[in-house]
Amino acid sequence: MTGYFGSYVVVAVLLGVGVAIFAGGLLANRLLRPDRPTAEKLTTYECGVDPVGEGWAQSQIRYYVFTYLYVVFAVDAVFLFPWATVFADPGFGLTTLVEMFVFLAFIALGILYAWRKRVLTWT
Amino acid sequence: MIQSIDYWAIAAPLILALTAGLVLVLDAFLPARVGGARNVLGLISLVGVLAALGVVAAQAVRGDELRTFCVPGAGASCSFVMDSFTEVFAGLTLVAGAVVILLSLAELAGGRIPVGEWYFLLLATLTGAVLLPAARDLVMLVVALELVSLPVFALTALRRYDGRASEAALKLFVVSVVSTAVMLFGVSLLYGMTGAVHLDRVAAALQPTYADGSASSSAQQLEITGAVLHNGSAVVTVGVVLVLAGFAFKVAAVPFHFWAGDVYEGAPVPVAALLSVISKAAGFAGLILVLSRALVSEAAAWTPLLAIIAALTMTVGNVLALRQRHAVRMLAWSSVAQSGYILAPLAVHLDIVSTMNQWVERGVVDVSSPDQAARAGLELSSISQVVELSNQAGVLGAVNASIAYLVFYAAMNLLAFAVVMLVSRRHPGNQLDDYRGLAFRSPGAALSLAFALICLAGLPPGLAGLFAKVVVFREIVAGGLGWLAIVMAINTVIGLYYYLAWTARLFTPAPAGDSRTVPAQQGRTPVVIAIGAALLVTVAFSVVPQLVLGTLG
Repeated sequence: MTGYFGSYVVVAVLLGVGVAIFAGGLLANRLLRPDRPTAEKLTTYECGVDPVGEGWAQSQIRYYVFTYLYVVFAVDAVFLFPWATVFADPGFGLTTLVEMFVFLAFIALGILYAWRKRVLTWT
Repeated sequence: MIQSIDYWAIAAPLILALTAGLVLVLDAFLPARVGGARNVLGLISLVGVLAALGVVAAQAVRGDELRTFCVPGAGASCSFVMDSFTEVFAGLTLVAGAVVILLSLAELAGGRIPVGEWYFLLLATLTGAVLLPAARDLVMLVVALELVSLPVFALTALRRYDGRASEAALKLFVVSVVSTAVMLFGVSLLYGMTGAVHLDRVAAALQPTYADGSASSSAQQLEITGAVLHNGSAVVTVGVVLVLAGFAFKVAAVPFHFWAGDVYEGAPVPVAALLSVISKAAGFAGLILVLSRALVSEAAAWTPLLAIIAALTMTVGNVLALRQRHAVRMLAWSSVAQSGYILAPLAVHLDIVSTMNQWVERGVVDVSSPDQAARAGLELSSISQVVELSNQAGVLGAVNASIAYLVFYAAMNLLAFAVVMLVSRRHPGNQLDDYRGLAFRSPGAALSLAFALICLAGLPPGLAGLFAKVVVFREIVAGGLGWLAIVMAINTVIGLYYYLAWTARLFTPAPAGDSRTVPAQQGRTPVVIAIGAALLVTVAFSVVPQLVLGTLG
């Protein structure tokens, strides 16, 4: 087990150790504890409050647009990171800086469009 | 490591992209008047497309090869190349784009579709379709192909509150995303095996080793050893097949054709025209680039596959078209069948070694004299350069036969779609029976459609279609794929039936009391101009096919 795949052995061993500790703890708990279930004890635990309603909840559809915009910008921000690591290096310079602002301008165009189309107002 | 940019080289896609941005901003800031702004945006888009076409024409006339986004250093590989291949595809895309914009002017006159978004998305697609044939690395190829595909989903769905359009858009989206995923997997395998993304570097990395175990270092070795050992490991073959499958989705080749009928029918007519010409041309450009520039040495893996796909595609497309009663649906399956004809010449085995030997025999290249070889720019150290050379010498006619067929097909198919657009304004049902008696109601439109259909069938006087088929036949037979030529001949006969049945409908009297007509809306003029332009090009191709055949050499 050497070479490329050998380097993954450590990961596999670590995973095995983690699973063993977790499963061992639960197993020890199960073996040592007294077990006297009642109907009350088997209900879902919710900080001492009686559980109410379903697990599904609706959120306001208006959040959708903002979530969407956030995702767009989060994805675009990823492109800034590799750029940020090199733009001050020798050989790069003003051109590199301007190029990134051209990119940002194109994104800004999208925001401008969204603003004019009244997507950003809370209706 | 800043790459210098040659702005003249990228002028055409740049103009399209800036026009797209301009249209979007204008749409947001122009006061929303009824009618006026609608045509203004269309005309601005049209001007942008024509300007880009002018740039491409100027580049073609000057005839020099423009390269930019090159990797610095010796043996530079460039990501963006404007050569005659690119110019043919870009020209086709832009002319087709102008026709689609003219059709859009009529489609948008109905007022059910948001105008600014429509033209913005249309121009974005055109930008991708012009960028794609210029792409010479795998990353740019995939990005450009996505730029062609993504706006089309939205364009299809832009007719709001229309169930069929939404269904078509969803189908197109799912199929396209799956095909992109498949293709990306193939591309990543190729990158993993070769460590290069530029097509010429991939070709060099896959370059076969020869019988004596050395890499081919000189033309003599090519000549002497003759037999090329297949270098492809299984992983490369898997990569090739996956890339092929991804492109097969895009050009609607069997067995990845299911989406075509529903999507074409559900989409607005201009979008169907866009899908059948521009999107298809982009798919073929990518396919040809990858196969003929990066994967030449793997030809043994992909040529048999491509031959079978081509035979299946033309057969299934034709058989499905036989029973259609909906005009656009029939054109959809007919375009699937035509894809088969375009694929067929690509299946001709690119036998590099025998090609080279022929050259040596004919004295085109004297490999024994390093002097002359150098003078001719021959550095026969890599297969890709050999291919480049054989391209220049016109020995590699197979790829050019495909491109020629594609150009002819684009002209006649656009003509058919333009007339369908005109008729669909009075008959939104788009049934084939609505075309009964069209020759008596509007003879010009009927004759144009009849000409387009006869061209698609490949009969005289539709010489454009005939020439296209002859070129393809010649390449297949010369390439030794006799069985494929027979399959294609049978399919041409099947095709005759449904094209001629439609043509015959045009000249039969309409049944009395046809109630499915609606009063025509405004916006007839642009469609008439579109029909005129498409007719002009198709007739020109029929009279002087050298326009296309000569350019391709």
